[in-house]
Amino acid sequence: MSKTLMRFTGVGGQGVLLAGEIFAAAKIKTGGYGLKTATYTSQVRGGPTVVDIQLDDKEIYYPYANDGEIGFMLSVAQKSYDLFKDGVQKGGTIVIDPNLIKPTDEDRKNWTIYEIPIITIAKEEVGNVITQSVVALAIANTMMNAIDKNTLIETMLSKVPAKVHDVNKVAYDLGEKYAKEVVT
Amino acid sequence: MATREVISTGNELSALAGVDAGCKFFGGYPLTPSSEIMHEISDLLPKVGGTCIQMEDEIGAICAVIGAGMAGVRTMTGTSGPGMSLKAENLGLAQMAEVPLVCVNVMRGGPSTGLPTRVSQGDILQSKNPSHGDYKSITLCAGTLAECYTETVRAFNLADRFMQPVIVLLDETIGHMHGKADIPTAEEVKAGIVPRKKFDGPAEEYFPYKCEHDEPAVLNPMFEGYRYHFTGLHHDKNGFPTEEIETCRKLIQRLEDKVALHEDELESYEEFMMDDAEIMIIAYGSVSLAAKESIRHLRDEGIKAGLFRPITIWPSPAKRIKEYTDKIEKVLVVELNIGQFHSEVQRAAARLDIDGLFKVNGRPISPYEIVNKVKEL
Repeated sequence: MSKTLMRFTGVGGQGVLLAGEIFAAAKIKTGGYGLKTATYTSQVRGGPTVVDIQLDDKEIYYPYANDGEIGFMLSVAQKSYDLFKDGVQKGGTIVIDPNLIKPTDEDRKNWTIYEIPIITIAKEEVGNVITQSVVALAIANTMMNAIDKNTLIETMLSKVPAKVHDVNKVAYDLGEKYAKEVVT
Repeated sequence: MATREVISTGNELSALAGVDAGCKFFGGYPLTPSSEIMHEISDLLPKVGGTCIQMEDEIGAICAVIGAGMAGVRTMTGTSGPGMSLKAENLGLAQMAEVPLVCVNVMRGGPSTGLPTRVSQGDILQSKNPSHGDYKSITLCAGTLAECYTETVRAFNLADRFMQPVIVLLDETIGHMHGKADIPTAEEVKAGIVPRKKFDGPAEEYFPYKCEHDEPAVLNPMFEGYRYHFTGLHHDKNGFPTEEIETCRKLIQRLEDKVALHEDELESYEEFMMDDAEIMIIAYGSVSLAAKESIRHLRDEGIKAGLFRPITIWPSPAKRIKEYTDKIEKVLVVELNIGQFHSEVQRAAARLDIDGLFKVNGRPISPYEIVNKVKEL
């Protein structure tokens, strides 16, 4: 596999950072290189946050994704979506939570936009809003086919407390299911 | 060398390095984007019998660290630019009294409170002379995740060797980026520790500041029966204040010479694709990562660019820079400030035609910006 560039955006406090760390760690586990960088504002909660994830088989130098080269973006906040969408390459994939983001008609021409109610899934179907980052992780990996699924789940479980392993497994399965549904 | 693979951030690696290098005291005041150093070390230090204390502010933090250094333990603090400004006076005290300590500065946008969460390299000149007066600063700058660890370890050994503060510069990007680092094992680091010199003769013959013209003071740990006076004033061999003309001159000259005459022990740099380079890029810290990627692109297009990356920033590797600038015409300094190291390169090269690519809006310089600039040269 060559280079994979992904971007997760939201607002501070939503937990988008963790998904990036899990991706990077899982890639490193498979013998490759993974880097996560986050950019946030001094408004820690509520400020626009962007996490860039680079996965590569060769050494990564520059830790940020170059604008225009990102293949996949997932967004759960309108202001972050507006700020960071232009980094996605034309024809790239964007996943949005339709309850939180309204893309323009122009956006739909530029990118393949899928709508998945990530927050609602986490809150109501999994029963724990914090699992939204794992729902997002599953959606990203299912669409990008970036990492062996079992390695990713194993890495994810190593980063969350044992008492929430089961709900996070449920969150992963649901994310995967919704991703497959919207793509087909 | 025995190594281990860890997945971590630059800030956390710096904290881990402190503990592995034998640090037993951290005095700090959390400051974005350096806070994770204190978070991490506050978990790690108690497990090895060490202490981490959050002081009332950055001034209190450096004062606590100086006290720990006088007590004889390896000690460190972590902060960012605004904290460095507050610590400046007491960094001068540690230079004058010759107290070893490590100060990690994770650079953010300045001056003043600036851009707290954004990357910058605006503290290069500050780290050369944070305090007033004459002394020779030692400043190291990490350019990879692994170096956040190895340069912090090196800082501890240099602080004890030269008996003075050693500054480790990270920047927001490198402090927060999260990925793989191959670092020496803790055992390897432990085996490489060279503790500071101690005087073990009779107490009445102990004169901490009576030393050769190019050697540091020998400060025995306090509470072990060796007495000396501790002051920021010009002082004699016992540490007592004096205005005696020759003693004052010799003291300040020695603070200069103990470093200046031993630069070979400090010099450190990386050369990346410099063998056949026709264009030299000079960059350090996280910017060197963008520079390396830009060189990949430039080489693909047949443009022979290379990178010279100072790791020891102060004293700068001026002689090595001059060897290159004497034979390479096109030289570009890339940094996240308005030419702070550029002026040092001009000095080292004795050339005023050194090009620069600078940025001060809190955003990183991308590899493509460097590629485009190189093509314009």
